[in-house]
Amino acid sequence: MSERLAVAMRQAEDLILRDYIVSAATQINAGAGSNGFNPTNLGIADFSLVATTLDTNNAYKFMSGIEGMDRFGTGPVRSAYFMLSSTELQSDFDALSSVGSLTFLSQWNYPTNASALPSEYGSVGNIRILTSSEAPVARNAVTNNLGVMNDVYYNTVLGKQAITHINQDGYSMNLIYRDPYYSGMLAQNATLAVKFAQAQAITQDTAIRNLLSTRLSNLGV
Amino acid sequence: MTEYSRMAKGNYVVSGGSIGVSAPNVKVINLPFKPDYVELINYTAASVMTDDAVPFAYWDASVPPLTISSVNYDTVIQRSTGSALVTDMVQVGGGISVFSAGQALQFGPLYKHNSVASADFSIATSGAGGPTTVTTATNHNLSSGDVIVFEGLFQTSTTGMPQLNNIWFTVTVLTATTFTIPWDTSGSNYTAFNTSTSTGNIGSWKKVLYPYLYFPGVATISAITLGNTTTVSTTDAHNYVVGEEVAFRIPSAWGTVELNALPNTLVPGSPVYGYVVSVTNYNTFVVNINSSAFTPFTVNPTVAQVPGLSYPEVVSVGDVNTGGTLITSGSQLYPPPYYSPIGTVRVDTINGPAIRGSFVNNTSQGFVIGNFGARNDSTAFVGGSDGDVMEWRAYFHDLSLP
Repeated sequence: MSERLAVAMRQAEDLILRDYIVSAATQINAGAGSNGFNPTNLGIADFSLVATTLDTNNAYKFMSGIEGMDRFGTGPVRSAYFMLSSTELQSDFDALSSVGSLTFLSQWNYPTNASALPSEYGSVGNIRILTSSEAPVARNAVTNNLGVMNDVYYNTVLGKQAITHINQDGYSMNLIYRDPYYSGMLAQNATLAVKFAQAQAITQDTAIRNLLSTRLSNLGV
Repeated sequence: MTEYSRMAKGNYVVSGGSIGVSAPNVKVINLPFKPDYVELINYTAASVMTDDAVPFAYWDASVPPLTISSVNYDTVIQRSTGSALVTDMVQVGGGISVFSAGQALQFGPLYKHNSVASADFSIATSGAGGPTTVTTATNHNLSSGDVIVFEGLFQTSTTGMPQLNNIWFTVTVLTATTFTIPWDTSGSNYTAFNTSTSTGNIGSWKKVLYPYLYFPGVATISAITLGNTTTVSTTDAHNYVVGEEVAFRIPSAWGTVELNALPNTLVPGSPVYGYVVSVTNYNTFVVNINSSAFTPFTVNPTVAQVPGLSYPEVVSVGDVNTGGTLITSGSQLYPPPYYSPIGTVRVDTINGPAIRGSFVNNTSQGFVIGNFGARNDSTAFVGGSDGDVMEWRAYFHDLSLP
């Protein structure tokens, strides 16, 4: 139980930061997709637009590039910002059409996976994509002119200096256990709990964008 | 047993509403727990036997709602007929209900045009400057200060008001079936959205349940008045305070791109920001940017522009320390941060004293006293009427059977 609660504690911390970013960071609607919704599904040009915006705002990239190697099926990777996306968009990433020199590079096509994170799905230009099932999504949030509904995904693209998290009262979070003797003479109820004392803040708003998109593909069930 | 049970009580003076005529404002009670039983005593209503008064109300999470004619009821009340007390019930969600506001992007039921007649609605184009009036087929059950969001709004496949989609709007209630949103739809590219059933006539709206979980948040701009200082209006509450530093993101379709926080050409690496110099009300504030020579703001994009259209926004920058919440005569000794959903209304959060203007985490739980009428007397409101003294008691029990 305590092990599960510790996992829940970390997940809760992530969800708080996720919702905070949804509430406080600037939004850009994807427009380079083809599905006719507003926002559209993600197109290659949306990645380029957001990366250019962050570059112009002097945001710091998270990762250095990966130099090309003499390995079949691989290609070099640019230095990059991170984009936090939903796992439900993975098939959309696979279906991205190349424009000019910009193309979707799956994580297994990196010259080396040494610097790839476990949740990393691939990269487009100056953005490396991390996916999670807990990424923010508003279900059935848009309707197109045919009456068809679609979900809206919040793809957060951020530079290194964009956000921070502040400890308060000298700690960030506590996992608390009080044995049953504290709760009564019959020692019936133990207490297991978590307590947070932290705040999130956007430290540099020009280094973060929520790229809103809909989905092109159907969801698996 | 005492380890888990929770008990709380309190009282307040009801605002809004007139006995037997109109509903009061919805009352939100923040608690450090989510109760499973709540009871209300309206002292004012209990003191005099007046028709439509509701002196007592009870709600229990463990008792399944009672279904009558396909409608679910869960709040038991005692209401006055003027000469006697009789029992009645209030619909689920409109009487006493609990909430746990922990996650963003939570929405209420979808009111969809052409789904069922009771969910239908129409939107007329506004006069110059707005606001825009929405008319619903049946009681919308909204209160002024609630936030809603639209989808679709296509009158035909190429006309209508899809420019309003996905914007969070604070509503101002006019009547039980009409309310306004702060947006100017007098432009040439807007067509009234009505209740016809022609092909392509598509639209819906829903309530944003927890619009201010974290504030100040990103806000959509509805109007900008240019001048030596710049006056900005937003579609929902901005929750800024004087001294707040703000940044603008205005795509070219909306005009005033000069306000954008682009890198400062005079100070390399430093963006151009503004400071809030005065707050007019919940959705209007003034910043210290001389915009006299800037491009006028416009809210008239075409329907064809909608796919991929981004909206004009203003965001708070950093956490400006403008001092603690001021103490006034009769106020709390350590006032919590608060948000203003409409007008100058102040809604305290459950937090301890904090810095004004900094980002506030407003995740919360507790219960809500709704504004619906009773099943057998639609003008008997569980929330009382303006000026009533209401006591509430909320419990979370150790043991609840079965």
